[in-house]
Order: sequence, then C-alpha cells, then structure tokens
Amino acid sequence: MVDLPGRPSRRSFLKATVASAAVTSIPIGLPHAKAAELPSLEDYKPVYFDAAEWSFILAACARLIPSDGTGPGAIETRVPVFIDLQMAGDFGKAADWYMEGPYKADANPLLGFQSPLAPAEIYRKAIPVFQDWCKQTHGDAFEKLDAETQDAALTSLEKGGVKLDPELRDFFSFLLQNTKEGYFADPMYGGNQGMQAWVHIGFPGARGSYAEWVNNYNAEYPLGPVSISGERA
Amino acid sequence: MKTLVRIVAVLIVIGLAALAAIIFVPVQRTGPTEKLAADWQAPAGLGKYDARMADCAACHTEPGGKPFAGGRTIASPMGDIYTPNITPDKETGIGTWSLADFRAALVDGVDDEDHHLYPAMPYENYRHMSETDIRAMYDYFMHDVEPVKNQVAETELPFPFNQRWGIRLWNWVTLGNPGFKPASTKVANDEQLSRGAYLVQVLGHCGSCHTPRNLTMAQAGTNETDAKFLTGGEIGGWSAPDLRGPKSAPQQWSADELKMYLTAGRNAHSAVAGEMKLAVEESLQYMSDEDANAMVAYLRAIGTNGPAPAEAPMKRDETPAGTVARIDAADDPTTTKLKKAVDLTDGERLYVDNCGACHFADGRGAPEVFPSLKGNAAVVAKETGGLIHTILYGAEMPSTSKRPMKLRMPGFAQRLSDDDVAKLATFLRGAWGNGAGPVTADQVAKERKTPTEASH
Repeated sequence: MVDLPGRPSRRSFLKATVASAAVTSIPIGLPHAKAAELPSLEDYKPVYFDAAEWSFILAACARLIPSDGTGPGAIETRVPVFIDLQMAGDFGKAADWYMEGPYKADANPLLGFQSPLAPAEIYRKAIPVFQDWCKQTHGDAFEKLDAETQDAALTSLEKGGVKLDPELRDFFSFLLQNTKEGYFADPMYGGNQGMQAWVHIGFPGARGSYAEWVNNYNAEYPLGPVSISGERA
Repeated sequence: MKTLVRIVAVLIVIGLAALAAIIFVPVQRTGPTEKLAADWQAPAGLGKYDARMADCAACHTEPGGKPFAGGRTIASPMGDIYTPNITPDKETGIGTWSLADFRAALVDGVDDEDHHLYPAMPYENYRHMSETDIRAMYDYFMHDVEPVKNQVAETELPFPFNQRWGIRLWNWVTLGNPGFKPASTKVANDEQLSRGAYLVQVLGHCGSCHTPRNLTMAQAGTNETDAKFLTGGEIGGWSAPDLRGPKSAPQQWSADELKMYLTAGRNAHSAVAGEMKLAVEESLQYMSDEDANAMVAYLRAIGTNGPAPAEAPMKRDETPAGTVARIDAADDPTTTKLKKAVDLTDGERLYVDNCGACHFADGRGAPEVFPSLKGNAAVVAKETGGLIHTILYGAEMPSTSKRPMKLRMPGFAQRLSDDDVAKLATFLRGAWGNGAGPVTADQVAKERKTPTEASH
C-alpha cells in the first residue's frame, strides 16, 4: 500500500480502524449511544488542523500514549479529536490569556509563557519545522517513521534537540499536556472516548459524592464511571 | 301527535325565555355584609397586607412586569386566560371603578359593567371576604398602587366557554352565602382557629388548588366540615398535595416546621416548588407571625383523622456534620442496596449517578438545603408532572426574608433521556417506602415538551 500525500498513513489508518472497532464493541447499556453515532477517527474531519497536520497529530498521539501498553491508547480514546477541538476553541486562541506585549519569547522558562503566539499558532508553525527536521535527520515525515524512530524524534523535540524559534519552544509541552488532557478529560470534550481512561485507572467520574463510602475502609468501589453528559460505563 | 307538537313547542318557548332571562336579566349584585361608617378608614397597611394575603400579584403581575398591570397568561383547561390590569389607570386599569364595582368583582365575579369574570378569578373564595378587608383593599388599589397604562389582550376562549352568560348558571350552582362564618363550633369557639380558617378558606384561597374539583369544576368543599376540602387537587399536571390525610404535611410535621415551610419556603423536610413557590414568594412570606400561627393551627386542627399529634411523626434534629453517621445508620432496603452499589437496576444507578450527591443514599438530603425524597409529596404525587418536570428542568427555592438564598437544583433534561427519567422517577416513587406507582417514558416525553414556566 502506498501512502498518498495528505492522507493518514497506513499505520494510523489501521490504528484508527482498530480503535473504532474497540469503541463499537463497548458493552451496550450506555444510556446515550454516542459511541456508535461518532464517525470513526479515519472519517473524522478536523475542525482546525489541515490534512498534513492531522496526520502528524494522529501519529504523535499514538506514540505519547501507545495502544500496546497496559491500558487504552490515545488513538482509541480519540485524543487527537480532543486536541483538534481545543485548537479550534478558546484554548487554541488563548482567548482568556493575557496576550498583550511586551513579548520576550526567549526569557527564562521559569518566567512562564512569553510567546506572542496562541497555542493553535504554535502547533501550526512548529509542526512543519519538526517535519523538516524529521526528513533531514531520519529521512521521512514523522508519521512514516517506525515507532522506535518516532520515539527518538519526540525525545529530541522534548530535550531541545530540534531547533525551534523561541516563540515555538512550548510546542512539545503543549503536545504532551494536551494529549494527557484529552486522555483524562470528560468525554464531552472529544477525548476519553467511552471513559476508557477512567475505567483503566478506576476513576468514578462526575458522580459528586461518596458520603456512604467515607467510613467504609478498604472496600473496593464497585461502580464504573459516569460522565458529565450522563454516560455510564 | 298534535298535542305532542304543541307540548314541544311550549317547552321550546319556555326554554328560550329562560335562556333569554339568563342572558339578559341584569346581574343582582351582593351588598356589603357589614355596615361600616361612611368615614371609616382602613388601618394603615391593611389593604396592602390583604392584597398580599389574597396573592393578587400571583396572577395580576406578569413575571418581570409592573405590579398588578396584568397580562399574565393563565393556562386553564378551557384555554388561555389573560389577567386584567388592576392598577388604578383610568383607561386600561380599574381607575374608574367604584367601591361597589370592586366588591362585585370579589364577591359576585362580575366587572364594572356586570360582565361575568372567568372563575380563574377565585371569587368562589373571595366572596366570603369581610367588608373591612374589601374596603381596605379598594383604598389600597385606588390610592397606593401606581397606575400603569397597559392594555391587556382580550381573553378569547373557544366556544362554548366564550359564552360568559354560562358562568351565571355556574355561579348559581356554586356560590355560597357571602361573608364569613366558621363552619364548625370547634373553629367558631376559638379565635385563633377562626382567623386561620378565614386565611385558609378566603384570603389565601388555598382550596383553589388543594381542594379537588367536582363535576362542574367547582371546589368540592369549602370548609372543614366538607370531607373533600383541602384533600388535594391538580394544577397544570402537578398535584397540589392533600393537606388533611394522615400522611399529609400538616399531620406529619411539627407546627414550627409547617410554619417554616409556609413563610420561608423551605424546612427540614422539603421546599416549595411550582405554584406553591409563587404563593410563598408573593404572599405567605409576608404573613404576620400571629396569622402564620393561626394558619398553622387551623391546618393542624382539621385532619381527616382528627388533629395533628402534638409529637410530630416526622422529625429531624440532625446537624450537617451528622450526615455521614445518619447514612451509615440507615438500614432500610433501598439505602442498604444503594450503599452496597452492587447489581443496581438502571433506576438505582441513575439515582447514584445523578441525584445521590445532594439527596444521598438514604434519600433524605439535608435540612433546608436538599429536600428529602422520602415521603416527599411531589415524589409520591398522583399527578407525576411535578416530579418529572423537576427532574427535567430543576427547581429553585424562593428568596424569602427568613431564607434569602435562592438555592437551585439543576435540570437534567440534557443529561437524561425520556427512558432514563422514567426509570429514575419510577425508582424514586418506589424507594424508601414511598410506595407510589411507575412513570412511563411517554409521560416524560409529554412533560419535556411543556414550557419550563412552572419552575420560574
């Protein structure tokens, strides 16, 4: 199979297919059959990212929380969807951050975020830089590299081995932070599909009170989670 | 054959004559039931107080509108009725009305031109108002209420309800003697009970919601000697609870708790909702302490099985810090199962997921904050509209001088499907010994479509 330019790679396609199969096989009994109504990750039309960016996001998330670990991975929990929606929303636009100057993008990182660019712009500008670096260093775009090389490339990105302009230096920490958020946030934001991440760690979700368990020491909590929209698992 | 034709013809003529009489003979107005001196002056503030006790604002003030300027829509079973402007504006209000016109509206249910009012106006109850209260209210509306120019749309009910002369027949059948007399010696011989009876039966017109309606839609009982008086009615798909049976609030709660409910809108057991919220917000919270005690004493005295026991069957004296201990101690079947949280039915799981955070596993909530669902009148009501509506659209406690905070329960319309709500409501109606019947998804679907107005 040849990877067409601008299309997700065979690898991410396979993962997405496996993910949608996993999602549709979640035990029936959910009050809202949202899982079945969603398009598969393969058919998902990103709101913010273009096709090339989307291929990268799919591939990067798949390495940050891989699917062959002890729990569900970022792909089957639809973390890339979460990131896409966040980029299109207030977070991506830094809508409620102080974004007036002066900007000192190369200030000591201990002084916090100093870039004039909102997170969505940082993704947009940093992804091509990183892709160029992957092609020069590893001979191909990130999503076409094997898993081991991808991990090495992401490690370089994290440790500063990839030269990014100062205003883009938060790219990797955003990518990692948003991936974790998409994994553990309520499913209403697009990730944590079917509350799989919550089931995995035993978090009971948006239930609100456990007064009857306060004095019940060393007992296993028997209930699965509930989401803000009322899904049960 | 000829004879038969003649008899029928005569009957028709008599019938038409009677109909013409019903339609065209002028209305006879009732005079004052008590002679007051021409220069009689109402004690300061009495008219305003009476207007509040009669809760004129509940219908004649639109939410967010100017006081008493009318225009509120009353959804009656016969169609929408628009309440008139009762400010003293001369063109669009009652500014040109004489005392006799004003009295006729309260006592005979007719306006200044003797047109019949729809009985949505509770003249069935106001009819028994004392002349001093009528005079005081007249003075208040004429002199203290701000005139507001507000032309209210004419009420247009479908045929036959738009034939207002029909109301005349209804009045003949329904209305009792004007003025107020305690119906039983027990009440007559006790000044406090008499005052309570007057407040409940007349000014407060409690019976207009809490007494069931008979075949002609009149209140099936007007005082404590009538078996059906205040035994529970229906309004807009909600039950107005029974106030006299052994399980009713006046019989179950202490006098202090009943007084809190009526004047503060919440007590250790429950909180007002629906139309009762309006009654507390606009009217009952302004009751004088003396009148509140009288109303409570009367309601407690008229139980169908006799007066309320001195020691209240339903009692709560816990502190918020005692909630966990309370839940730990509860051992009824429902609470025991919810505490174990194993093999829950959908209804039980929905309760734990959506309600338990505030109402807790024992369903008893927290005094004055989260109403108890155990034995809760709205939960076990015959009409399930109130319960379903509250689950779908939430509820808000009124702000009263005793309890100013408008505590609000969120609605769950977005979070729960019709089927979910039906399962949850069915669970609630059966839980903690509530013993009420199930709710169907169809009932929920119907309630989901009705406006959220009732919760304000």
